[in-house]
Amino acid sequence: MLRLFGPFLCLFMAAFALPATPALAAGDLLVAPTRLILDGSRGAEVVLNNIGSEPATYRISLEVKRMAADGGLDEIAEADATPAEKAALAMIAFSPRRVVLPPNQPQVIRVGVRVPEGTPPGEYRAHMLFRAVPDSVAATAPKAAGEGVSIAITPIYGITIPVIVRIGDLEASATIGDARIGETRDGPAFEFDLTRSGTRSVYGDIEVTRRGEPQPLLVARGIAVYPEVDARTVSLRIPPDLAAQLRGPVHIRYTEDREVGGATIDAADRVVR
Amino acid sequence: MRTIGMKRALAGVAIAAFAMNAQAAQAASATGQAKAKILRQIQLTAGSPLDFGTIISGSTASTVAMTTAGTRTCGSGLSCPGTGTAGSFDIQGTNGAVVTVSGDSSVTLNGSISGTMTAALTYSANTVTLGASGGNFQVGGTLNVGANQASGDHAGTYNVTVNYQ
Repeated sequence: MLRLFGPFLCLFMAAFALPATPALAAGDLLVAPTRLILDGSRGAEVVLNNIGSEPATYRISLEVKRMAADGGLDEIAEADATPAEKAALAMIAFSPRRVVLPPNQPQVIRVGVRVPEGTPPGEYRAHMLFRAVPDSVAATAPKAAGEGVSIAITPIYGITIPVIVRIGDLEASATIGDARIGETRDGPAFEFDLTRSGTRSVYGDIEVTRRGEPQPLLVARGIAVYPEVDARTVSLRIPPDLAAQLRGPVHIRYTEDREVGGATIDAADRVVR
Repeated sequence: MRTIGMKRALAGVAIAAFAMNAQAAQAASATGQAKAKILRQIQLTAGSPLDFGTIISGSTASTVAMTTAGTRTCGSGLSCPGTGTAGSFDIQGTNGAVVTVSGDSSVTLNGSISGTMTAALTYSANTVTLGASGGNFQVGGTLNVGANQASGDHAGTYNVTVNYQ
C-alpha cells in the first residue's frame, strides 16, 4: 500500500500546489505514459489530465521530429518529411483529437496502428503532441494612448511523447564513446558520445559509477538514439561540485528500460577529462 | 478539503491504471491475481509569464532585454517603470529522466491600437534532467521597440514543448 501511495501523493501535492500560484494561463497538463511502442497488432492508450485550476481545451496531434547530433529533437514541417516519416503519420491513428477538460479530469486517448500491406520492415515514429489551446490572451488593464507600451506574451505549451511502431525483426546495439566534462553556456555538463548500429532505435538509462563508491555519481533515465542518427552526444548539465567529482576513472553503463528487463546495452570504463 | 483532493487524485491514477491494464487484467483473471500498474507520467505547469513590464518608447528605436534569470535591461532612450518577469515552467516526472525543451525563437506582438513588435526568445536549457522535486526552465527575450512605438497593449503567443525522447 505504501508503495502505491508515493505516486498518489505526488499527484495530490501537485493538485494542491497550483492554487498557491494564480492560474496565469489555463492549460497545465499531465501525460502518461511517456512513450509508446507498438508492434502493429494492438493499440495502446495515453492518459491526458488537466492539472490546472481552470477548464481547458486540449488539442492532440502528431508531429515529425528528427534527432540531431546533439541529441535535440528538431521539429520538421510535414512537407519536408521523408517517405518513412509520412508513413508513420499515416499508420498511427488516434482519438479524440480535441478535448475540453474540467480541472482534474483525465481523458483516455486511444492510439491504434494500421500497417498497410507491403510496408517494409523498420521502425516508424511520430511524436504525439498534447497542447492546450489558449482561450484568450492574458488580459491586463488596457492602456490608453500615451500611457506607454504594455506587453502580454502568452505561451502555448505542451508535452510530446514518441509513438514508435516496429515492423519485422529489428535489432540494434550501442557503444559508449569518450567521456568528458564540457562547458555549456549554463555551466558544466557531463558529456559522452553514443554510437548506434542496427535497424531500430536504442533507449535506456545511463548510470555513472566509480569503483569503491556505493552510490552512482550520476543517473540519467530515458536516453534515446533514434535511427536517423548513427551517433549522438549526450550532454547532461551538472552542478560544478559534481563536475569536479566526476573527473577521473568512471564506469558508464547504458541499460535498457527497467520496464523491459533492464539488460545492459553497453558498459565501458572511461577516464573523464 | 484534503480528502476531496486525494479522492480526485486517486480517481485520476485509477483510471490511468485501468485504461492501460485492460489486457493485463484479462490475463490476470485466469489466475485470480489483481494487478495495478502505475504509469510513468510527466506534468508541465506554467509559472510566471514572460513579462517585459511597461515601456515608454523614445524617439529612437531600442530594445528591452529580459534574461532567463529575470533581470531586465532597459535600452537607451527608453523608460521602463515597474518590473518584469522571465517566463517559467515547472516539469514533474520520473526522477532522473532527461527531457528536451524546444520552443519558438521569436514572437510577434500585435498592438491593440496599432503597430506590431517582435521579440527574440531564449530558453535557459535545451535539456532538463529531472530531480526528486522535478525540474524547471525559464524563458527570456529581447524586445525590439520602435522609435515612438505606438502605445497600447501588445499581445502575442509563442509555442514551447517539453519532449520525452
